[in-house]
Amino acid sequence: MARAKFLCDAERCIECNACATACKNEHEVPWGLVRRRVVTLNDGEPGEKSIATSCMHCTDAPCVSVCPTSTLYQTDIGIVLHDKDTCIGCGYCFYACPFGAPQFPKSTLFGSRGKMDKCTYCAGGPEEDHSEAEYRKYGTNRIAEGKLPICAEVCSTRALLAGDGETIGEIYRERVVHRGFGSGAWGWNTAYYPGDAG
Amino acid sequence: MSDAAGGVRGRDFTGYRIAGALSALLFLVLLAWQIVFMLGGGDTVTPEVAWSSAATEGPDTPGARTGGGTLVAETLTARTRLQDERFRTGPSAEGDVPERALDPGTRLTTAPLEDGSSLTAAWAVPDDDSAAMMHESGRVEGRSSLPYANAALFERPFARDWRIGMSDVITHMGALAILGMAFLLSAVLALRGRVPIRRGKSGRTVKRFGFLERATHWLTAISFLGLSFTGLAIAYGETLFVPLGARAMGTLGWWSTWGHVLFAPTFFLGILIMAVMWTAKNLPSRLDAQWLAQGGGFFSDDGPHPPARKFNAGQKLIFWSAILGGLVMVLTGVTLMFPFYWLDLGGMSWAMLIHAAIAVLLIAVFLAHIYIGSVGMHGAVHAMWSGRVDRNWAAEHHDLWLKENASDTEGAR
Ligand code: HEM
Repeated sequence: MARAKFLCDAERCIECNACATACKNEHEVPWGLVRRRVVTLNDGEPGEKSIATSCMHCTDAPCVSVCPTSTLYQTDIGIVLHDKDTCIGCGYCFYACPFGAPQFPKSTLFGSRGKMDKCTYCAGGPEEDHSEAEYRKYGTNRIAEGKLPICAEVCSTRALLAGDGETIGEIYRERVVHRGFGSGAWGWNTAYYPGDAG
Repeated sequence: MSDAAGGVRGRDFTGYRIAGALSALLFLVLLAWQIVFMLGGGDTVTPEVAWSSAATEGPDTPGARTGGGTLVAETLTARTRLQDERFRTGPSAEGDVPERALDPGTRLTTAPLEDGSSLTAAWAVPDDDSAAMMHESGRVEGRSSLPYANAALFERPFARDWRIGMSDVITHMGALAILGMAFLLSAVLALRGRVPIRRGKSGRTVKRFGFLERATHWLTAISFLGLSFTGLAIAYGETLFVPLGARAMGTLGWWSTWGHVLFAPTFFLGILIMAVMWTAKNLPSRLDAQWLAQGGGFFSDDGPHPPARKFNAGQKLIFWSAILGGLVMVLTGVTLMFPFYWLDLGGMSWAMLIHAAIAVLLIAVFLAHIYIGSVGMHGAVHAMWSGRVDRNWAAEHHDLWLKENASDTEGAR
């Protein structure tokens, strides 16, 4: 059984933001929301690193647990999806998310929260696959076509890896052995192994 | 009606006591359900939807599925391989494209999954290779070119603790507190009966609360109840209403969210006027210690009630819960309505936790108040309804206040 994960090789990410841009374009993510972004650590200092981040599709996903309306749900390969029709914009998922992934449009009364939006692992939502409604609410559904998230597939340095966790783990480890260094799989401990985290 | 000691006794209210016993039974069942639910430990998130592969596309074979999960795994893993070094795999002259990686006919689709708990259990344990290559957990924040709040955040393990605080601790403790309080009050009604007017009603009344006092009380009370019901619908809706359908809960939740915001301003106005009107009469005094030491004379019909002015110690506690608890709720609530206006993500997380924790506590406390102001005490509700109370009631519960007002026979104050 496959387990979908994201892995960003911080030694390879060059902060080109192609992943973020491709994501925005692919799904026509509205103004003000970002499903994927790049964070730079130690900017301008020795040891500077950039990491592309988004929803990590956690194991025992905290957002799913705290959601009061069962808007969030997980699939059997780990992808966490959301149902825009039942979201009430309470923001609980945001407080429970270890990666700051859920996004809220400031479009409603009082400029407060609208319905949550987040990375779908390019797997759409509960609407019928490839329907107009699915595209409008969640963007394209590449998984249904057997493809992987656009952010990883466009990554020119292959820093951002998506797909089966075991396979991307192997690819990464081989790379680290080959080049002789690597700072590890950032975020994996928190995202995928909740009981294990120190 | 009366016994050897004379006068009305709590246990004379037979009808009330039967109703109390019945509702005690009901709440006991609900409490037991809550405890079973809590100890059931089913709080781990498990997958609810499974992918399968619809092998052929076309109108003739709608939903024809083959291979199930294995084919899905093979397809995605083959595609994953394309990200390996180009000399090894992938779209390059030398490499071999893994079978199925670029299959144009692929259609993967989802269907509900019965029980995904074994998947979560399997995912949660890293194999040795993965364990060795992980970067350790920790708070990581960097820099981002995006102009949005929290765009620079990479990782925040505290969020997992927040989830435990919210969905495990506060939700369960809140349910215990509210159901427990409801059970206790029902049991008190069943065993002890109502707090009686020992000498019966005199038929002569004295003015207790003016129009402004009553209007403010009911403004606050109705707002509080509105906030409670909408808040509880959000907090417990998933357990209580989702069996009716996720869509029903979505609609209910949406109305509750907006209703919740609408009741807040009137609640705030209510506690503000209350604070101005009643603070002076609710400052602690020496009488309060005596009143509390005697339990307010609540549990026994015998012996004199401890002396009290307009508000006894119990009422002062209720007053201060409303004012201080209410202020905390309003402050945290307004903070939550305008995310990151003055607090960062850490602060907002705490605001949410405090808002939820104080809310369930206040609901439990005000259950007790509503009880004593209505069925729990004979003659009490008139104070807030007509504004006048029976003289005998006043003499028993607020003797000093009655004396201060004794000069005017009909009590103009
Ligand atoms: C809906 C059911 C309620 C009933 C039947 C009720 C009844 C009463 C009564 C009869 C009194 C006067 C007690 C006396 O004569 O000394 C009172 C006082 C008061 N009520 Fe309520 N009340 C209700 C809800 C609430 C709520 C929800 C709040 C708060 C948000 C509240 C806050 C107060 C306060 C602060 C006082 C003055 C202090 C005290 O007497 O304890 N009440 N209420």
